[in-house]
Amino acid sequence: MNIDRRKATLFGAAAAVRLLLFTSFPGLPDLLTARVEISTPVTSFKRLQEGVFLYNHNVSPYDGGVYHQAPLLLPLFSLLPSSATYPAFTYLLYIILDLLSANALMCIAQSGEAVSSKLFTSPRKDKRWSNFAIAAAFLFNPFTIASCIGRPTSVFTNCAILHAISKAVNGNSFTAMFALSFAAYLSMYPILLFPPLALLCYDRRPPLKNPESIYSFVLGNAVAVGGSLYSLLHMSSLITGSWEFLSSTYGVQLLLPDLTPNVGLWWYFFIEMFDSFRNFFLGVFWIHLSSYVAGLTIRLRRQPLFVLTLLLGIFAIFKPYPSISDTSLFLAMLPLYRHVFPLMRYTFLASSTVLYATLLGPAFYYLWIYAGSGNANFFYAITLVWSLGLSLLTSDALFAVLRDELEVERPEMKGMEIRQI
Amino acid sequence: MRQFHSLLLCLSCLSFTLASSDYHEQLLLKPLHPSLLLASFNFQSNTTLASFEQQNFRYFPRSLGQILQHANTRELHLRFSLGRWDAESWGARPWGGAREGGTGVELWAWVEAETDEVADGRWLTLTNALSGLFCASLNFIDSTRTTRPIMSFQPSGDHKNSTFESLHLLHGTLPREVVCTENLTPFLKLLPCKGKAGISSLLDGHKLFDASWQSMSIDVRPICPLASNDCQLQITQTIDMVLDIQRSKRPRDNPIPRPVPNEELKCDTSKPYHTEDTCYPLDTAAREEEWTLSQIFGHPLKGACPLATDGIDPVCISVPHARQVFSSEGSHEHKDSSGFMRCYHLDSEKDFELVLPQQEISEKAPLEQPLLYAERSFIGYGQERGGVQAILTNPSLTEAVDFIYMESLPWFMKLYLHTLNAKINGLDTHQDVIQEMYYRPALDRKRGTQLEIRILIPANSTVVLTYDFEKAILRYTEYPPDANRGFDVAPAVITIGNVSIRTTSLLLPLPTPDFSMPYNVIILTSTVMALSFGFIFNLLVRRFVAVDEADQWDVRSVRLKVAALIKGKLKRFRKRVKMEKKE
Repeated sequence: MNIDRRKATLFGAAAAVRLLLFTSFPGLPDLLTARVEISTPVTSFKRLQEGVFLYNHNVSPYDGGVYHQAPLLLPLFSLLPSSATYPAFTYLLYIILDLLSANALMCIAQSGEAVSSKLFTSPRKDKRWSNFAIAAAFLFNPFTIASCIGRPTSVFTNCAILHAISKAVNGNSFTAMFALSFAAYLSMYPILLFPPLALLCYDRRPPLKNPESIYSFVLGNAVAVGGSLYSLLHMSSLITGSWEFLSSTYGVQLLLPDLTPNVGLWWYFFIEMFDSFRNFFLGVFWIHLSSYVAGLTIRLRRQPLFVLTLLLGIFAIFKPYPSISDTSLFLAMLPLYRHVFPLMRYTFLASSTVLYATLLGPAFYYLWIYAGSGNANFFYAITLVWSLGLSLLTSDALFAVLRDELEVERPEMKGMEIRQI
Repeated sequence: MRQFHSLLLCLSCLSFTLASSDYHEQLLLKPLHPSLLLASFNFQSNTTLASFEQQNFRYFPRSLGQILQHANTRELHLRFSLGRWDAESWGARPWGGAREGGTGVELWAWVEAETDEVADGRWLTLTNALSGLFCASLNFIDSTRTTRPIMSFQPSGDHKNSTFESLHLLHGTLPREVVCTENLTPFLKLLPCKGKAGISSLLDGHKLFDASWQSMSIDVRPICPLASNDCQLQITQTIDMVLDIQRSKRPRDNPIPRPVPNEELKCDTSKPYHTEDTCYPLDTAAREEEWTLSQIFGHPLKGACPLATDGIDPVCISVPHARQVFSSEGSHEHKDSSGFMRCYHLDSEKDFELVLPQQEISEKAPLEQPLLYAERSFIGYGQERGGVQAILTNPSLTEAVDFIYMESLPWFMKLYLHTLNAKINGLDTHQDVIQEMYYRPALDRKRGTQLEIRILIPANSTVVLTYDFEKAILRYTEYPPDANRGFDVAPAVITIGNVSIRTTSLLLPLPTPDFSMPYNVIILTSTVMALSFGFIFNLLVRRFVAVDEADQWDVRSVRLKVAALIKGKLKRFRKRVKMEKKE
């Protein structure tokens, strides 16, 4: 019962902080919803309200250029009372989602997969943080709190991804695949997490009398993902009445018609791009994003959870419409690897770069859009610095984990300087 | 306006009874307060549909007729407008707003076609052909600026029921277009007298485009009189302008206003501080300005147009009968019974001149009160989002007014309809004011937003309509050359029965990227991506070894390596030479 009380205290404190911020600053939720670092065209809460309004008035929200989110969110939010008149229900929904994500994260931490997977055990496995510390680091991270108050729908995606990983770590491969397909249905990019997730399920599956081969296992899981995706899409087409929502939701992520500024690299690049090269560079950017999956999965076969963590970090930098809620998901998974933090070389540099970009970003955006004394290059430069800082952080984490693997292979290397050839 | 409606009735009656001439023209002058003059030029021609179809054009212009035939257009309304009509000072609009368009160019037509796609193709033909005819950029009216209004426009001609089903109403606006002399010249060329005789000889680009408000309109519609079976096609060309008398009197070769010399200043001598060097301007409200027709328009009227042989007096002026008006010899004056209108019959050989001397007179011709006052503006600040506010006032003390408010917004203004709010006299009552709404959302780069609202305002009330929108950021090539000026948003069209009122257009500044940096942006972003990819790729592909196991790459080791390489090659070379020698 001791554990439950600590967990309840932690969750209660997190919920209290969020409720306090929601209620004692009445303008804060709308202010944060309006910020470009939190809301993107495919996750914005104001656009969701517009979509729900049109849906309730029998106008197809996908016939316009404002609403680009998944159709299943429409009946969900029309069941809740209108958020303009009774906002408390929406606040409660988002607080519950955050607590569910924290719960899933605690499950992942508790399983110890980060320090000792099926094929690899770290020599530093005693130096890890407790579940509560990891959940607290997630719940009290300013990025997480800001994205809860701002209410983007990427919180749903984060919750689904964390549940997929926690179910995989517990061996429930079918539930994990369903959660992954729900995340992929909401935003497109989680489908790229399928290979490492399937390997994680394979590693952690309960022992059977006739163990199947890896190929048939992965194939079965792929069929499960495909089937759940198809059923979700079919339900959506029944809700909206046709298949035209596909070009408004997934087509927008692929072809980028909406160029609203965000913390990513895509928007300014495709503003300044001439029309004849657009399709080529769209293809290049998507191939670049997808290219990390294969390499990381093969090289880090023995630690699929770390592959997932790293991929989440890479997607937070390079996906079409990133926001700080994707970064908060990556920073949620990173403390699981606290045992390799001493092996990282550039922690101070990466964290100070990220902090610098976080503080200057809103200032330069204000200078461009409101004050008029700066131009778009200021904000663009900050997005470059942010992306560099995050990529430094991810590659440093990768270095630390590889160094850890090396020390298991060649124990005499412990503490020695190394080179790469 | 009562006078205008009576004139129009007169004209239409005459057009049926006197078949001898199918061409009518009239000029109506109406002084407005203060020191402004509303001049309405109206030209009307008829042709029978039979002769139209046989390409037998007499008074109907051939160039326009062939365009209408080629594009299967049954009814056409084209407007070129500039300026703002000040309803509070000038009263109701001329012709009830029926001959007026929004700022820039506005075009709406009923096109006969079987399907929507065929109608769009014919509309494209129509806009391109009209753009060539009128030297205006009408070809820029593409699908993003075209809407199909449901409630706002009704056909003013008589169409047979069989054709009515296949008629498509298409409406396009170009608020950015600057109307100038190059649009006036083709307009005048469509007239039978071509600006050389009659009232069209007064029209001059310098004076017309210096006006406070001007509107040029062309309406083509079929009329089928009830008695006979043959229909006619009528073209009505109208130019309305509100001229500032002081500004128009400035000579053309010396248009710069210079300070009036001390002796010519009109000072109020009753003030206590009136001295040589202090002057309080005299209130000239009771005094009527002096002006002559050739001073205002720049040259005199060159006689009557000989093709208008129907007996309508071509020039009318709406002043009280007590006002002194002198006309040139050869013209006859007819005063009408209402007390506020007199018309002149002109001689076709001699020039016509009207002189109105300065006169102290307080009686003025009555102004008709408009049915609705409307103004629209932007609210909010910053280049990320904003709002639109429309203030609609019903001045009538007894009657409620029921009208349709139509907005056609560009696609880069992303409207949030759930924020639409109507406040009546400052209180929030959404339900009673908005009766019906038709909304077609915008699709990025394909079509704009179309919003039509039916509103009912009770007597003596003001309704403030507000909604939020978000500004999109466009691609590099989609900005016009003067990107920081902003984009023009078409005026809102308010339809109250037969009367239409238009608000002003709005200027929307959008956030701009840095236009000097396409190459820099591409290389910087590619550098960041390459750096990140490089970090991870290196880590994945290379293997770790201890420091002492790795190859050293300092100067000494490189020198030794190069020396060893050269020695080995020399050795092999010498061996080969030796073997060749042996053979």
